[in-house]
Amino acid sequence: MPTKENKTTNDIQTLNSVDKLIHEPARLNIMAHLYVIESADFLFMMRQTGLTFGNLSAHMSKLETAGYIEIIKEFIGKKPHTMLKLTEKGKHAFDEYRKQMKQFFNEI
Amino acid sequence: MKENINLKELEKKAYQFTFKDGIYDIAWGALLISIAIAPILREIIYLGYIIFLVLPAPLIIILGKKYITTPRIGIVKFNKTRRKAQKRIKLISSILIPLSILLVILTAIGIFPGNLGAMLGGYAIPVGAGIFAIVFLCGAAYLIDFPHFYIYGIIIGLGIPVADILHNTIGPPLDNLLTFGITGIILLIFGVFTMSQFLQKYPIPKEEIPNAN
Repeated sequence: MPTKENKTTNDIQTLNSVDKLIHEPARLNIMAHLYVIESADFLFMMRQTGLTFGNLSAHMSKLETAGYIEIIKEFIGKKPHTMLKLTEKGKHAFDEYRKQMKQFFNEI
Repeated sequence: MKENINLKELEKKAYQFTFKDGIYDIAWGALLISIAIAPILREIIYLGYIIFLVLPAPLIIILGKKYITTPRIGIVKFNKTRRKAQKRIKLISSILIPLSILLVILTAIGIFPGNLGAMLGGYAIPVGAGIFAIVFLCGAAYLIDFPHFYIYGIIIGLGIPVADILHNTIGPPLDNLLTFGITGIILLIFGVFTMSQFLQKYPIPKEEIPNAN
């Protein structure tokens, strides 16, 4: 029979297993924005997240290293643009994160 | 830490952000003012006045987005649903706008409306044109999810028959000046005010950002 102690232990385990790379507020903001759009350049992401270019760049590097985002050159009109996009791995990781957080808040 | 990130609201906010520049209000204000002064221009430059109806609004939108908006807020590609809706609008516009221009030219040279003009006590054409404008622009508002188009639709949709009624009472050029001039100036001022706030809030970044124009 599930006791209150067991339930609390499960909650902590759920939180411990949450993706800490996404869990950081600035990166969560970045991931959430890239999840709902197809791609965007640095300036658009700066405007949406409120981060400075340096800050955004640093977080993007971490997410790129983890394989969650990719930085691609896209032609818009005739001009190449550096665009940021969520990878399939990133989408999956974000979906998992959302599921875990929803489960955590549903249980408390 | 947010308990619940509303992704739908986030996407909508990002999308509506791209309309914060006031450019569409300025473009439509300019179009309405062009319509308002069209009878005066027609007296001066005959059929050449059509250029002043056709060119200003698209030029304002294209150049404004390229040189004012994009350097300040960057570039975004929205999801397939949004892009499909915008493609649909572009396709419909590419058929209906040239058709409308052709009808304006044919009316100006007296070929159109012929016998149609006598229907509904002579108001068939302005009422029909008004309904067409309301349906097309409100449809566009729904498809591209930009509520200002409802306002543009109502202004033009009601304005055409009202201008026609005033044409028979007070005559040109006051009919068009009153109907479209006042609303055009209000819209233009609102657009300029919105843009001035946009320029203040989103200056061109001083730091070097990849592909910031």
